[in-house]
Amino acid sequence: MQSTTKLLHDSSETHRAVFICHSCLRTSAVRRNVRRSFFNSAIAREEHIAPPELGATVPFRKLLKDELKRQKLRGESKKSKHAPANRLLEKWELTVGIEIHVELNTAKKLFSTAATSTNQPPNTHVAHFDAAIPGTQPQFQKETLIPALRAALALNCTIHRKSAFDRKHYFYQDQPAGYQITQYYEPFATSGSVVLYPHDGIAELDHPSITIPIKQVQMEQDTAKTLHQPPSTHLLDFNRVSHPLVEIITEPVIHHPATAAACVRKIQSLLRAVDACTLGMELGGLRADVNVSVRPRPQLGQEIALGQRTEIKNLSSFKAVEGAIIAERDRQIEVLEAGGSIDGETRGWTLGGTQTTMLRGKEGEVDYRYMPDPDIPPLLIGNDLLHHLQMTMLNLPDDLVMSKLASTPYGLSVLDAIVLVATEDGDRLEYYMELVTQLQGLLSAEEFTKARAGKLAGNWVLHELGSLLATSDISWHDQPVKETHLASILVRLIRREITSKTSKQLLAMIFNGDPRPVEKIIEDENLSLRPMSKEEYLSLAQNLIAENGDMVRAITEKNQKGKIMWFVGQMMRQGEEGRMEADKAKKVLEELMEL
Amino acid sequence: MSSLRHVQRCLANAQAHHGLNAFISLADRSFLEAAAQKVDSIREPGGPLNGKLIAVKDNICTSDFPTTAASYILKNFNSSYDATVVRRLRESGAIITGKTNLDEFGMGSHSTFSHFGSVKNPHNHHAQQPPSAGGSSGGSAVAVATSQCWASLGTDTGGSVRLPAAYTGTIGFKPSYGLLSRHGVLAYANSLDTVGILARTVSTTRSVFAALNAHDPKDPTSLPPSTRSRIAATTTTTASSSSSAQSPRSLRIGIPTHYNPTELSPSIRTTWHATLARLHALGHTLHAVSLPSTPAALAAYYVLAPAEASSNLAKYDGVRYGTRAAGPDARGGAPGAEGQRGAEAEVLYARTRGEGFGPEVKRRIVLGAYGLSKGARGNYFLQAQRVRRRVQEEFDTVFRVGNPLRMGVGPGELHGGLQTAGQGKDGREGEGVDVLVCPTAPGLPPALDTLRERNPVDAYTNDVFTVPASLVGLPAVSVPVPNADNSSAEGEAFPFVGMQIIGQFGSDDLVLDVAQALEEQIVNDRA
Repeated sequence: MQSTTKLLHDSSETHRAVFICHSCLRTSAVRRNVRRSFFNSAIAREEHIAPPELGATVPFRKLLKDELKRQKLRGESKKSKHAPANRLLEKWELTVGIEIHVELNTAKKLFSTAATSTNQPPNTHVAHFDAAIPGTQPQFQKETLIPALRAALALNCTIHRKSAFDRKHYFYQDQPAGYQITQYYEPFATSGSVVLYPHDGIAELDHPSITIPIKQVQMEQDTAKTLHQPPSTHLLDFNRVSHPLVEIITEPVIHHPATAAACVRKIQSLLRAVDACTLGMELGGLRADVNVSVRPRPQLGQEIALGQRTEIKNLSSFKAVEGAIIAERDRQIEVLEAGGSIDGETRGWTLGGTQTTMLRGKEGEVDYRYMPDPDIPPLLIGNDLLHHLQMTMLNLPDDLVMSKLASTPYGLSVLDAIVLVATEDGDRLEYYMELVTQLQGLLSAEEFTKARAGKLAGNWVLHELGSLLATSDISWHDQPVKETHLASILVRLIRREITSKTSKQLLAMIFNGDPRPVEKIIEDENLSLRPMSKEEYLSLAQNLIAENGDMVRAITEKNQKGKIMWFVGQMMRQGEEGRMEADKAKKVLEELMEL
Repeated sequence: MSSLRHVQRCLANAQAHHGLNAFISLADRSFLEAAAQKVDSIREPGGPLNGKLIAVKDNICTSDFPTTAASYILKNFNSSYDATVVRRLRESGAIITGKTNLDEFGMGSHSTFSHFGSVKNPHNHHAQQPPSAGGSSGGSAVAVATSQCWASLGTDTGGSVRLPAAYTGTIGFKPSYGLLSRHGVLAYANSLDTVGILARTVSTTRSVFAALNAHDPKDPTSLPPSTRSRIAATTTTTASSSSSAQSPRSLRIGIPTHYNPTELSPSIRTTWHATLARLHALGHTLHAVSLPSTPAALAAYYVLAPAEASSNLAKYDGVRYGTRAAGPDARGGAPGAEGQRGAEAEVLYARTRGEGFGPEVKRRIVLGAYGLSKGARGNYFLQAQRVRRRVQEEFDTVFRVGNPLRMGVGPGELHGGLQTAGQGKDGREGEGVDVLVCPTAPGLPPALDTLRERNPVDAYTNDVFTVPASLVGLPAVSVPVPNADNSSAEGEAFPFVGMQIIGQFGSDDLVLDVAQALEEQIVNDRA
């Protein structure tokens, strides 16, 4: 037990340091060629929406939710023009709902004082009640509620003050009482959601993000472990009986196998981050059942009911989730294409297989005969406990990224942070963070702070580089501007060795394939800023004022201050390439017009 | 009397009444005598239970006898622990004499559905045909009635302590739900199951009750100390509201007018009236009260109790304990793979459970499973829950005291509860009643051999007077009253009729007070 605790502790430490799932980053190494207009819309958005400050008061997830809502209101399609290659997938739409069973991180079982265990000798942690010994009754262990509540909070759920336990009846050798105690009529948490981003590994068609509604989260007992010894022996280990679980049920809104796998992976990482569970899927800490159906793909404005679903039970890896859904989707499409119909049945999947197999037909469907457990009083959850948990909850992975990006050295706005996180599988975020690191190395601390270099770098990665990408055919992964290029340009800009105009020009040159180093281009093209003297500015400005009396009057008498920028533009055009600085020009103009 | 002499008398009776089949397991004579001698050797006076023989219904776990629930499936089951009520008996110095016969898992009204054979009533008014001892705690009642023990424990889910008490002329007390621990009691319908006490006198009943009445953290439905003190406060309020210093003070006795079905036998009706007259003579006042949901209560009970039974008995699969059918009893591969080799072969545990349960248990499991099934749940299980709630509300309108379970903790709310209680919806003026008095059963015990001809529904109607108190968890006691019917042949043949006293939740002492007053008056009459 000692060593187990330690091991689990270590893994959660590691997890806290990680801000983006490493496996996501690895999978993103497969470069994808997708184009989107997300940048343009992100920029356009800034004009309408003042980005809220990332304060302690507004949680990131709420901001994100609001943002996604706005996005939806504007009718932005999440689907790209990128059509599925398969003709049949154009004709049929897949729909998936997921049920995830998670072993909670608790010391005791749900209804007895027996210790939970993972690798103990069989049948060494079994209380009388766990083995359904006659005359014994459940003793709800209230401590098990804590990780369950953390899980529900991490999934953005509404927590109900009152919930109750019910019995779900079916005979199976791993179920000693003949029923499982679960929450059917009144679960403790409902109406949650989990948001998935490209870095979570969702299908491209779901980019840049998809919100999966969580229907409910319920507490329940785990079953015994069965060891089948062919031909007809089943060995039973009751250590796992009544280990506290939460079952998380999503709404059936997922249309892509990769997104379903990403959803399970994301829920696992969220629950681990808040310490609700300890073991990952690979160790049996999570198991997923998926409900799969297909229907004719609805056309715009058309409503088609979901097809008959089948359930694939006991998937124990992300790969299995994706594989089983693909196989079952293809099987259903094949049946329907051949004029057949789908039966509501329970099916199984073995990793490495190519087809799901029938476990139980519709005629074998179990009526669980749900009944409130007469021995267990209703569960009442106090607001004080909820508040305490909310206050002490560890940060969720997405929150961590956000709060990190909002603070020094980055200092990004929420919107910029969202775009960075939500695009290019997190690659753009990594690019940005590397750029900032380089700037920190090149600039003095004072220079960095004064220039707000973190925010500046964000603008350049998102907007300058972003607009170049948006107007070209080059994808993010193929564009040639490296972090070193951009760092080199920005350092010179900050030190006023080049003008703003020159810096953008340099960026465009490299983006368009100029292979020369930045300093070489500056040298070759003579782009270095040789500051003009005050007299040079004055003489240019006086000439312009003398030639454009109407404009001057408009500014000075009609108070049309905006027109001063016309003069600035004129000065920039007339001034020597790369020497004129707009802010200085403006200052001189204002002096002369006595503004 | 020394404990040894008490034990020896009981054992002599046990030998004499062996044929009544009251016990499934009985302790050895030598063991019991040794235990009694040990008690006698200690000079210090113990409590009232010290050195007394107490029998325990065989659906209550004991570590020293098998606990069979009269079922084939548990015929060899040995519990590794004592039920809390058994532990408390032992701690009070009582000696457990053995385990008494019952209807399998407590399901039945005549103690005939037992793997170990029927229990027989010692009072044989049917000449050649022994009458029913009542059920399901028939063995416990007979053991007390024939003095094979000092007192016994039974369980009462819908009348299983009160009915056998009525049929055997003993006191049968079902306390308020949640006062006595159910830890170690094999569940039949856990929202109704109550440990009850059978004895020959009310004072013995009280002594046993006092020894068992305590919170048990191992039973999640055991009333916690906070609720117990709230109950105490309620009963204290009632006592202080009474100006009488006499014991018992003048009470308002309720007569449920709906407890008067056509099938009520003449002996029962006559004795009921005589009992009310006795109580009136003692200075209590009589008041008609309306409990119109009584017939619906019986129907609700026979939906809810089987539903819970179907769930509670699902654990008996022969895997971890209990009798298991020979050979494999698991699903035979994928459905249909074995062809049509019989559907049973493909249903897990079908053989073990098919062989292990008797006919009445099977009937109730099927009934209960149906009531919970997807299509029927709304019309049966959920509807029955609503009826149960209505029955409770009706009881609350007739009692003078509010239901302490339905009152807030604050004194203001307590006061409010007291004020609203007793405002009958029939427009009855004034306060509510203190207790209800009605028959325990609608008829005298039937002959065992006539039972086989009855259909199950007829058998269930026998519980019409006991079920309402069970649904609401109210305290109720059955007291034997001399049969007042001298006109019919039936009346001449059977000496007593069980009369039931029902009180508001938590009024256990009051219910026993009334039982004791009645008992004393009967004794005085005889003298």
